[in-house]
Amino acid sequence: MTAFRLFWSTTLLLLAGGPLLAVAGLALASLFDATAWHALWQDPHALPALALTLWTGLASTVLAWWLSAALLAQGFVRQSLGRLLRGLPVMLATPHAALAIGLVFLLAPSGWVLRALSPWLTGFEFPPPWPTTQDPWGLGLIVALTAKEIPFLLWTAATQLQRDDVRQRWRSEHALAQTLGYSPQRAFWRVVWPQLSARLWWPLLAVLAYGLTVVDMALVIGPASPPTLAVLAWQWLQDADLAVNAQGAAAGGVLALALLAAALLWRAAQGLSARSGHALNGVRGAAPPPGNTSKSERVPVSFHLLAGLYGAVLLALAVGSVAGVWPFPRVWPEAVTGQAWQRVWDSRDTVGTTLGLALASAALALAWSVAWLELAPRRWDTALRPVLYVPLVLPAVLWVVGLYHLALWWRLEGQWLGLLLAHTSMVLPYVLLTLSPAYLGFDARYAALSASLGHGPWRFLWRIKWPLLRRALAASAAVGFAVSVAQYLPTLYVGAGRFNSVTTEAVNLAAGAQRSLTSAYAGLQFVLPVLAFALAAWLGAPRRFKGSRS
Amino acid sequence: MTLQVHITQLGSAQRVLLKDLRFTVQPGHILTLMGPSGSGKSSVLAAIAGTLNHVAEGAQALRAQVSVQLNGQDIGALPTAQRGVGLLFQDPLLFAHLTVAENLLFAVPPGPRTQRWAQVQQALTEASLQGYGERDPATLSGGQRARVALMRALLAQPKALLLDEPFSKLDAALRDQFRAFVFDHIRARQIPAVLVTHDTADIAEPEHVMQLNHAG
Repeated sequence: MTAFRLFWSTTLLLLAGGPLLAVAGLALASLFDATAWHALWQDPHALPALALTLWTGLASTVLAWWLSAALLAQGFVRQSLGRLLRGLPVMLATPHAALAIGLVFLLAPSGWVLRALSPWLTGFEFPPPWPTTQDPWGLGLIVALTAKEIPFLLWTAATQLQRDDVRQRWRSEHALAQTLGYSPQRAFWRVVWPQLSARLWWPLLAVLAYGLTVVDMALVIGPASPPTLAVLAWQWLQDADLAVNAQGAAAGGVLALALLAAALLWRAAQGLSARSGHALNGVRGAAPPPGNTSKSERVPVSFHLLAGLYGAVLLALAVGSVAGVWPFPRVWPEAVTGQAWQRVWDSRDTVGTTLGLALASAALALAWSVAWLELAPRRWDTALRPVLYVPLVLPAVLWVVGLYHLALWWRLEGQWLGLLLAHTSMVLPYVLLTLSPAYLGFDARYAALSASLGHGPWRFLWRIKWPLLRRALAASAAVGFAVSVAQYLPTLYVGAGRFNSVTTEAVNLAAGAQRSLTSAYAGLQFVLPVLAFALAAWLGAPRRFKGSRS
Repeated sequence: MTLQVHITQLGSAQRVLLKDLRFTVQPGHILTLMGPSGSGKSSVLAAIAGTLNHVAEGAQALRAQVSVQLNGQDIGALPTAQRGVGLLFQDPLLFAHLTVAENLLFAVPPGPRTQRWAQVQQALTEASLQGYGERDPATLSGGQRARVALMRALLAQPKALLLDEPFSKLDAALRDQFRAFVFDHIRARQIPAVLVTHDTADIAEPEHVMQLNHAG
């Protein structure tokens, strides 16, 4: 390794690893407070809240996991995965909070579903007093989490299945199992799924972590009294009393332990089912009915249902944002008004803050990731990865405590620069995660070839490597942008409440009764990432050549 | 121009691939290096071109103690870009974001625009690819792509050419054609070349063949 590479690799390592480790350390240090743990133990809400957290987190993860698996099985067997994936980007780009808000507008007693059925079917002239959204059992939260995590799991599975070498091997293994007499479905479950699911462990852990520790979604659609433990912790963190703050941090620690326990439990369950020998019992499964071939290549109905749900949510937000007077049980509003959008325009600082933070943090994260992947030795990269993923698995309520302490230390709390730091710490892992497969997979012979043609390293990077990786670069920047837009806790906590973003406005408004303004912000929260992804797709589109037919 | 190579030792930290390999290639001649896979054939070429660090990184990083002389000048310490050694791989590795002509232009040394383009047109003609300049390289056939890859390597005006199994991915009929095409160009330009292969049919000059075996 040259001195140049050593110097820059070390610099990059310190730039990212230093703050991340400091944040993690500060977050964990805040847990060493015996009185806080005692207070938490004494708090009558803590235990029911923890039970709700475990119930909603585990139920949504199990549901999302098996529904995704079923979709993948159908997609793989019918060879319709490609088409299935085309619908994914929009779902992936939908922020959690926007989905939750839209779902509330659909499912609430005065929501669209009941409006559509009233009064002709239900006989209701007024919204019934049903607890359909912030229900005490957390069912709404489970639905919202499941709907949000399925696209994520499908997408991570797809990135595995789209690798040519892997796909071809699994296709031929799948075919081989069928020559042994296994039905196509059974062959998938016995041969492909065990290999695929093993590679989905980290995404699964992310889903589990999210389900157990989510705050913004739970605030909108989760149970209220008691709320989930993450929401309770967040409320304590915002308290003026320092002792209560410490209790909130301790609750974050409990969430981390709950995540660890749930992960171990999941692993144990997987191990048990693998050891049961069920997969090797030789049952071939029913042959597909003849004539089924004409139906192949069709996207599974359940996927259409999911897409329909997202479509309904987005429509609800769009209509809601321009709705004036809208008495129950009318299906459409009586009056259309641009008032909400006018108010969004009046406080365009909010949009400006959101955009500025998202652009800056995505750009920083992209620049760092490219420099790191280009310069750092592979062994360093492997060693750094666990540190980078800490923000993804540590409960967000705990992470913001660490972030806040670091910001205090650097006198950056309540300042734009502190917010940028907070956002970048969340954006960086995602950008690196999405960029590295393509960047590290880049054929090293191109570099040798370019050098043998007499070109130096910079010319190679600018003229060959980065243009060829344009798509991956643009896509990972868009992912970073979307992650930044969706940040709720860091924006409020590190910003000390002085900065509003589209997301904080949407979540805070969701508690109130201003349907149109809430819809407008939730809609914006969705539109901004979608625009970023569209821009990335345009920038990353392969070049169109004159006179070629492809 | 003569290529003189002396590799004292080549290998990773764990094992030595080969020791004390020396050969000299005269202008217009093609030395064929043969050996089983894993014998370090390709690494010899990488050591000559100075691209060992590009090709193998990480745990199996290869190191070579090598002296390379081109026309009496020691180039072993120069960066790849200044060695004047051209490379041709198994895959044509045409840059997918550039047209066929732009791929070629990337190799032409700096100079007046019209002259550089004239060289590109000349190269296209030599490869029987007139009118293909504006095409997306992905739309060319395997044989056409292979010819473009050779022309691109030659347009950089290399003082020696290294061929890393460039025929192995072509089907039989194309392979004979392309092999003759490559050898003709090397002889016409009077540059030394080293060819690595495991196929005896590829041997260029039966009197210039070296067999590599496991050294350790």
